[in-house]
Amino acid sequence: MANIAMRAGAPQEAPRRAFIHSDRFQRTAFIAPTCIFLALLTIWPFIYSVYLSLHAVKLTAMKRAVFVGANNYINLLSDPLFLRAMVNTGMLAVTSITCEIVIAFVIAKAFVSLSHLKWLNGLRSLFMLPMMVTPLIVGMIFSYVFNPVLGIANYLLGGVGLGPVPWFGDTTAAMISILLINIWQWTPFMMLLIMAGLLSIRSDLYEAARVDGAKWHHVLTLLEIPSIKGIVLLGVILRIIDTLRFFDVVYVTTRGGPGDSTMVLTLYAYQQNFQFFQAGVGSAAAVIILVISMVITTFAVRLLRRIEND
Amino acid sequence: MTSAKFRPRDVGPMVLVLAFVFVSIAPLLWMALAAFKPTADIIAIPPVWIPDFTYLQNFQDVLTQFWPFIVNSLIATVGATILALVLAVPTAFALVNHRFRGREALADWILSTRMMPPIAAAVPLFVIFRGAGLLDSLPGLIIAYAGFNLPFAVWMTMSFVRRVPKELIEAARLEGCTWWQVLTGVVLPLSKSGLAAVATFVFIFAWNEFMLALFLTTREAKTFPVVISSFIGTGRVYWEYIAAASVIQCLPPVLFTFFMQKHIVSGVTMGAVKD
Repeated sequence: MANIAMRAGAPQEAPRRAFIHSDRFQRTAFIAPTCIFLALLTIWPFIYSVYLSLHAVKLTAMKRAVFVGANNYINLLSDPLFLRAMVNTGMLAVTSITCEIVIAFVIAKAFVSLSHLKWLNGLRSLFMLPMMVTPLIVGMIFSYVFNPVLGIANYLLGGVGLGPVPWFGDTTAAMISILLINIWQWTPFMMLLIMAGLLSIRSDLYEAARVDGAKWHHVLTLLEIPSIKGIVLLGVILRIIDTLRFFDVVYVTTRGGPGDSTMVLTLYAYQQNFQFFQAGVGSAAAVIILVISMVITTFAVRLLRRIEND
Repeated sequence: MTSAKFRPRDVGPMVLVLAFVFVSIAPLLWMALAAFKPTADIIAIPPVWIPDFTYLQNFQDVLTQFWPFIVNSLIATVGATILALVLAVPTAFALVNHRFRGREALADWILSTRMMPPIAAAVPLFVIFRGAGLLDSLPGLIIAYAGFNLPFAVWMTMSFVRRVPKELIEAARLEGCTWWQVLTGVVLPLSKSGLAAVATFVFIFAWNEFMLALFLTTREAKTFPVVISSFIGTGRVYWEYIAAASVIQCLPPVLFTFFMQKHIVSGVTMGAVKD
């Protein structure tokens, strides 16, 4: 730049053009807007959230913030509702992801073994639908299907002499219902990943295993699991991140109830911030959620890099 | 004809797969059927299985009363898709084709922002938007949606830009093209279908978004999902609206799933799995 200013005489055009055409300038022009945008959307909110989390502050009167140190965090960690939200979110992640992997693996195997039937491939888009439709609508659909009075689920169960199941009406049942919805929605996702992994196994390896007289559990533990491990791990990480931001379905089906039985972290932070306007406590909760996802993210990024470089 | 024959040992897997497909789509279908029923039939037990498909009153009611919010959703979603791609494509291009220090770290940082839960940015976002007069406005929603989808768009675009043969780019550079000309003249035409997939994904993610719209909009700029969420509440539940609105709301993602199915695996894994 100094260079250009010094030559502010006649041949000014040439160096400026050289600068504009320089690699460094073009690269910066390509990358900088995205980085600035993302920094404003991530780094700045993070700093601001940390600041708010150390203050007693109402969303409706932000100017009257009073410094309270770690009080919000202390209150949060002694709030049974927040602890419940932590436990529920953790439980939801562990249980639903485990069930998803097991079911997805079985179905993926069945699907792969039928891969010589070309028409079956058309079914792929059908079972992908649950993970593609609007999550809010998923909540609406299950409010309808699991409705105690007019729901078809209890009607069908009644037809085979079961039920009625309270679904969202009772503390244990509500959590299980939320879990079932999650599994319904996300098993297809896991299944697509596992299928991609299974299809990448060369068929001569199966052939070799067969010739060597390998049992099915040898094939499973020595060939299949190692081949799909990386991609399933990626799926698990993405699903944990999803569970941390899980909101839409509980918002329409249970609002965290009955009692605190289906309260999850994002819903808790949302209610603190935007229903009770407790921006201090809500921000502290948000910071905790963020820290958890940052820890998981470091793993995720390394993993994605490794898969990308393979 | 082909070797694609049904063998006896396929029965077991076939039953499993068909059961899985049925369970996956039955709840969706049940809601879709309800959209064609009058209220009394929607809540009837025993259920009315097959509705009269010429009954379109629910759709008519939803469309005439709530069409401005569908338009809001469309504007916010299309705007965000355009903004995200305009920013993401040059960035992805530079991250793939330029060699400079910190390149991988920068790409990793962009990826890591994808993992950030939106709730963590909620209050700061709300406060800036309030200060800038962007609350309850479509430009505000466009900025928020574009921002939250930017990491995904960059990362997935990178996976497509990487497939453009390096020789073509080098040849263009030797002929004296600027990087901008390389991008618009060589890379864009060659990764058109990939970029279409990225755009469609951003569109669907923004279209499906609910929580941000819930606190960033109040009246004017409410998106369709926010309106739908108000059909269920403490008082009467408007099942006939919910059903018809669900069908309208799910139409874009469902069509997308059918037309772009080969890109979906790559999309949901941010390009880590190639399609």
